[in-house]
Amino acid sequence: MSSTIWDKLGNIDYRILYALSLILMLIPIIRPIGLPTPVSETVRGFYETIDNLPPGSVVFVSLEGSLSLLDEQEAQYIATLKILFQRDLKVVFYSVTEDGELIYNYLFSVVNPEKYGKKYGIDYVRLGYAPLEERGQAAVALDVRSVYPRDFYGTPLDEIPMMKDIHNWKDVDLLIYYYTSCTNVEFAIRQWVIPYHTKCIVGTLGCCGPMAVPYFPDYIQGILSGSGAGAELEVISGNPGPGAMMNDAKNFGILGLLLFLILGNVSYLGKRFGGESE
Amino acid sequence: MSFVRRELPTAILALCGILLILEFFIPSPILQAIKSELTTWSVIIAATSCWLGFIYMAYAQLRMLGRNPTTSQYFWFSLPFIFFLLFFIVGVSFPGDVSSPQYRWLITYIYQQVGATVYAVMFFTLSSAAYRTFKVASIEAIALLLGGTIYMLRQIPLFVYICPWLLPLGEWILLVPNAAGGRGAVICAALGALAVGLRTLAGREVTLVEVR
Amino acid sequence: MNFWDALGAFVGSFFIISVLSMLWKDNPVFKFGQQAIIGATIAQYVLFNMKNLLNMAIIPISQGKWTYIIPVFLGLLMYTRLSPSYSWLSRYPVSVLVGVGVGVMVPGLLRGQVIGQVQKTIVDITSATTTYDLINAIIILIGVVTAITFFLFTKEHTGVLGVSARIGRIFLMFSLGANWAGEEVWYLTQMIGRLRFIVEKLIKGVILGAA
Repeated sequence: MSSTIWDKLGNIDYRILYALSLILMLIPIIRPIGLPTPVSETVRGFYETIDNLPPGSVVFVSLEGSLSLLDEQEAQYIATLKILFQRDLKVVFYSVTEDGELIYNYLFSVVNPEKYGKKYGIDYVRLGYAPLEERGQAAVALDVRSVYPRDFYGTPLDEIPMMKDIHNWKDVDLLIYYYTSCTNVEFAIRQWVIPYHTKCIVGTLGCCGPMAVPYFPDYIQGILSGSGAGAELEVISGNPGPGAMMNDAKNFGILGLLLFLILGNVSYLGKRFGGESE
Repeated sequence: MSFVRRELPTAILALCGILLILEFFIPSPILQAIKSELTTWSVIIAATSCWLGFIYMAYAQLRMLGRNPTTSQYFWFSLPFIFFLLFFIVGVSFPGDVSSPQYRWLITYIYQQVGATVYAVMFFTLSSAAYRTFKVASIEAIALLLGGTIYMLRQIPLFVYICPWLLPLGEWILLVPNAAGGRGAVICAALGALAVGLRTLAGREVTLVEVR
Repeated sequence: MNFWDALGAFVGSFFIISVLSMLWKDNPVFKFGQQAIIGATIAQYVLFNMKNLLNMAIIPISQGKWTYIIPVFLGLLMYTRLSPSYSWLSRYPVSVLVGVGVGVMVPGLLRGQVIGQVQKTIVDITSATTTYDLINAIIILIGVVTAITFFLFTKEHTGVLGVSARIGRIFLMFSLGANWAGEEVWYLTQMIGRLRFIVEKLIKGVILGAA
């Protein structure tokens, strides 16, 4: 049976399409375009929640991050750190994945707190890593020292000036919750927001953002979803960073996927309305 | 003996669960202290059993080797252990442990690159899957394609620049139909999880505790 | 660029290409990268958790917090899973983990995810201040109700229920579409990140000798 143009369109060797996609991705990397980035409502909520905090507020940053996913969330992390350090806030960083501490090492090498006049133990503290699932978040909310008796550098928390008045949920004004597993947003909601009405904003991957929207804005006041949201946060906060470059590179890279979709559907519609049935 | 092997663990499970549920509804310092202790214990249990992953990896590799004891299989068998030892030894040997420049080198140039590329490859596999299966064959498929494509293009500056209406439309899709469908799914998933949770506390859901 | 960064650029690029090679076909180079990450991930996990165990349990026990001996003992019981005769002992730590997990989950689940979501769906309508907000709130109400009917599996989806389930499915498809879109852009970002590594670190940094 001879194949029609529609069959040919529907049976192109994937490797040709892969190669085309790669070339399209390379173009803006080699020659950036530079287009404006609009800011969405969920990102605006994220930024304004931090911006509206009174001076001296305590912010907990929970990082469930992966080094493999740094491309997607790097812009979010860097922009958030800059926003936090530009304000008079007390920030407590902790991680719930092993990679989280390595990510913090990298972030603090990029965003130097001392450049913003921040001192360790006075303005910010790193608690370190603990394998916290939902149970662990509940433990931290009830008593920080039960999970983190010492900070990342081994100093007992009671010897750190900033931590003298920070013990549990009562002392936390905002939780910034970064996560990479889509349903884990519910850990923050169930263990911080519902029992203690802690204000909460989240940052996550592009595919998990839509799943957090049902909780916006009542339980979660802001959502960063993917690297695009990181770029938007850079724009709204006035802190240029890697998000703009990544956003730029996506401009042509997405054309490969659109080509896949268009070819597949043209083939289907051609076969359907051209007299053949599948 | 059956009591020690089955009924007692189930009773412990139920006791832990019920105490924590009660803590939520009854403001009591004793229940709060129990919750704090139990949640901390669960973190310590997880940390103590960290070597299980290594043991399971070793077991899986040994089984593969047993099925196919060729020279090349010996090479593939030893590779994960070589990298395990490399990362472990570097991670404990240098000043700063996992924060040392040496460990960071391994993490940045091996661990991060492999892990990130595994996700990168998914772009192509998902695109080819979309090419094969995302056809406008029904209203549901149109909804999926339309909603997804508009929301996707809303995130690409080039398309928002060419078609500014993509911005409010993409936002609307996220905040209205996506929120509606998502909320329905959240409610149903929560009811399902609630049923499984209560069955587990009642000892009727053995799969979570059973050992194979 | 110093020697270690240059070496890292080559090594990193090798591993990127080794994983990308699986798009062509399954091959030993891809398998090499795959096996490398298995060993590295487990080493990472063990390193961090041993340090964590020291800080959370060993040091507090040495300082008099004797109750922490119980979870350490329970954690050690987890290793009995490896013995067919004694694997039943691992039911104890698992029971604590599952019991605590269910206990912390259930209250928040009920209040936040069931009652809270239903409440928000209704409150959105009653608190709408503009016609646009009201229309959106009504659409959301229809979407939530019909999506819930889709998940009713104890009755056949015919008649009114069938229509409702179909409408619910359409709303769920919008959600899935948004998820899929997010995933595609995420994976695209990952791929761009890998290409940037090769271009900036290897080609520009090492081969072309730029700083």
